[in-house]
Amino acid sequence: MDNMINIGIDLGTTNSAIARFADGKVQVLNNPADPGSNTLPSVVAFREDAIITGRKAKELLEKDAKSVVGAFKRKMGTSESYWINSISNFKTPVELSTYILRELRSFMPPGISVDAAVITIPASFDTIQSNATKEAGSQAGFAQVTLLQEPVAASLAYANMHKEQELAEGNWLVYDLGGGTFDIALVRIKDGEMKVLDHEGDNFLGGTDFDNLIVEKILIPAISAKYSFNNLETQMKSASGKYNAQYYILLQKAEEAKILLSSKSSVEVVIDGMTDENNAPVDFEVTVTRAAFNELITPQIDATIGMVKNILSRNKLQAKDILFTLMVGGSTYIPFVRQRTEELLQIPINCEIDPVTAVAAGAAHYAATRPKLTGNINVSKSSSRLSIKTTYAKTSKEKEELFLAKITGDTTHCSYRITRADGGFDTGLKQLTERISEYLPLVENTFNYFQLTVHDRESNTVEMHSEMIGINSAFGISGQPLPEDICLEVDDEEKPGETKLLLIFQKNSILPSRKSVTRTLNKSIQEGSEDKIRINVLEGPHYALPEANKSLGYLEISARQIFRDIAKGSDIELTFSISESRDLTVTAYLNMADQEFKQTFTPKERHTTVSALKLDVDTLARKLENEIFDTAEQENHEVRKELSVIKKEMDVLETETKDLVDDDVTDKRYQLEDKKRKLAQAIDNATRDKHIAVLRNKYFKMKGWCLEILDQHGSENERTRFYNATSDEASFMYSQSSVRLKEQTEVLRSIMGSIIWRTPICLKDLFRHLVDKSPGMSNQGEAQVLISGGRIAIEARDWSRLAEINQDLLDLLPKSVRQDVIGKVGF
Amino acid sequence: MSEQIKVAKIYLDMINQVFEIEKKAAGLREPNSIQRNVNRLREMIEQDLLPAAAEGQHGFIYHNPLGENYNITRTDCEASIAGESTENLVITEVIKPIIRYCNGPVNIIVQKAVVVVKSKGSL
Repeated sequence: MDNMINIGIDLGTTNSAIARFADGKVQVLNNPADPGSNTLPSVVAFREDAIITGRKAKELLEKDAKSVVGAFKRKMGTSESYWINSISNFKTPVELSTYILRELRSFMPPGISVDAAVITIPASFDTIQSNATKEAGSQAGFAQVTLLQEPVAASLAYANMHKEQELAEGNWLVYDLGGGTFDIALVRIKDGEMKVLDHEGDNFLGGTDFDNLIVEKILIPAISAKYSFNNLETQMKSASGKYNAQYYILLQKAEEAKILLSSKSSVEVVIDGMTDENNAPVDFEVTVTRAAFNELITPQIDATIGMVKNILSRNKLQAKDILFTLMVGGSTYIPFVRQRTEELLQIPINCEIDPVTAVAAGAAHYAATRPKLTGNINVSKSSSRLSIKTTYAKTSKEKEELFLAKITGDTTHCSYRITRADGGFDTGLKQLTERISEYLPLVENTFNYFQLTVHDRESNTVEMHSEMIGINSAFGISGQPLPEDICLEVDDEEKPGETKLLLIFQKNSILPSRKSVTRTLNKSIQEGSEDKIRINVLEGPHYALPEANKSLGYLEISARQIFRDIAKGSDIELTFSISESRDLTVTAYLNMADQEFKQTFTPKERHTTVSALKLDVDTLARKLENEIFDTAEQENHEVRKELSVIKKEMDVLETETKDLVDDDVTDKRYQLEDKKRKLAQAIDNATRDKHIAVLRNKYFKMKGWCLEILDQHGSENERTRFYNATSDEASFMYSQSSVRLKEQTEVLRSIMGSIIWRTPICLKDLFRHLVDKSPGMSNQGEAQVLISGGRIAIEARDWSRLAEINQDLLDLLPKSVRQDVIGKVGF
Repeated sequence: MSEQIKVAKIYLDMINQVFEIEKKAAGLREPNSIQRNVNRLREMIEQDLLPAAAEGQHGFIYHNPLGENYNITRTDCEASIAGESTENLVITEVIKPIIRYCNGPVNIIVQKAVVVVKSKGSL
């Protein structure tokens, strides 16, 4: 297929698009300068040093009409030119179309030949207008241009959707209602030839008129009726009007409402952000119904149908002679347009093709059948005759950074363009000179990549062998990576009374950094009691024992500081921010009390409270005893011997800590804390292999169970979750991270849990268990009703009902039964 | 040129709503710390909204460009120009924020801001 043209262009009055035929399919190309869009507004703006096309140019169209041109397609083939103020020169419609075609060429991925194209023209174009379009294509660097009428292109897009069946001989209509123009064409296939028989149109009718109508006829009257304004419509529409900015906001909202009304019967439009003449803030909702919108646009739609009827009567055709009306253009998404057209014409409508891109797609289908002429085709990339030397700062904390380039070689008729890879900056086409200087705007805290491209006179990309411009704004010279993980001590639900670490900032994260976590409190705090919540931030590996890491900051919230009782199950929001100089600020917010506690810890000071130290030493001592007991049971003599040595040191530490008074002013607490840390590390080192082995074993067991139940009861979604969870097994299985192993086991447990929960056996077992527990339930009457309901559900095999009843019974259990073991930390 | 990625519309709609609430909350003087909930939502969007966000360091960031300078090289905003002049423009109204999808050190704009701009001279 390489010897075919393959490229189709819809050079529209309002919007343009480009499509490419490859591998048997047509792809409408995305606009790289306008993420999410595959069209280009046909507007060109001229600044003193740059030429801008597309959406950015359209923004200036109304306000800078002397330097920005749109809808120039209407003047193709005429002697009329546009005076451009900013460059003090004239531009012809052909030249303007050339800029659009050049921009469309840039949509093509690198390395694809763009030397020939099929360009569409309205059915109304005469020979001179057609030749003018060809000339624009040629000036834009297409060595070969083939023209195709727009209604035929749209029909081809439809015909190619139904390749299996030949398009029947007959007549059909192509009804094209876009953003700003309307065209209707009568198309016929006879003896295998597709031909436009007749056409009509209105160059000033389209979707933007409908947006205006919503603003003028619904929104402005609604605002004026509710608030005090003097002639609001004039104040909004006049450039010097007091509410001119609000007009554009309303237009935006009207467009959104119009789109939503295609799928909803009514839409609420929020009007706010302004005050009336009496300084009263405007804040209310206007309901726009589909019926009201339909009524509003009826005259316009009826006018289009009038034109269709003209064509039919001119050609002595009746509704029965027409196969269908093919709907093209974005405004044919509106249900009323479809319905009204069908109703008044009594001809079936056809909405099978994408109305926005159909013309470009049809042109590409046609291009795939047209051979490329050989011999006079240029290569798409100019051979390199220029070299470039660039200078710029590779890292910067500024908002913008100066980029300088020196070009060697002949720069005549060449242009350049710099774009930012995230899609947020585009210089437009600028004339290339020996020296370039540009201020490049930087996005904070990220790597900013820019691409410099140079184009020759025909818009071919000139190879410059220049690298991507990369400026790091993520950290300046003062930024530094974290030397260790920073973790939060949290209660370990699996081992009541013990704690584990939750990673907050990973080692090598760049400072400053900030993170929030929300935890659920696992105990209630009675106002004025001795209860405490401990927030302990530690530095060191997140898979180590909490006691083995260095304390960075410790914040205790005692019940005496709290204004009200805090219930178990309520949230605590913890925010950690660490500065470039590694000051750590911990903020704890208790949702239930609406109270905040904040403390900053500097690395120069150590925050070791005697009470916290005593608690830690006590926990560690118990942990050591458990480990010794386990190793003895497992007859792991080597580890047991190692732990016994540690035990002796632990006994000494316990005694010394107990002797420490709460208000001790010496360095003793710090010495003991260091000792505690070293002992914890020693315990961790001695037992890590054992723990990891146990966790691996648990993981594989869980995986086996999970596979078994997945086979019997799993859904497609659960199988995908299982696959995702196990696909990275090799990496976490042999890591030393117990946290990672636990997390992966938990993922499998959750998959298994979600399946088991809905199996009848599990539901029945749980029900039986709850029936046994029912004498202790809070509301006996309700419990008995639920129990009989549950029995009926079992008999009827109504498992979803049984699941609901189980949940209701669970809720009737007294809190004490459901109460978990209270943790050391509190969350 | 910019890599184009598809983001589920529901994410963008949710972020736009949070942005709206944030704008409204900023103008309120209230004792119930609504701003805190908004901040929390913002952090969830940045850190937790996407699956496996914590592992892959990917998420969304939204930015309110209110008060920033504007010219047509800014392709991160779709602007309507209010007033008569098109010189020395500044962003005076933000209808939708800039939304970026972040993946490690790289980020891509997935929604341009929708803004109204005015010449500084007319303010």
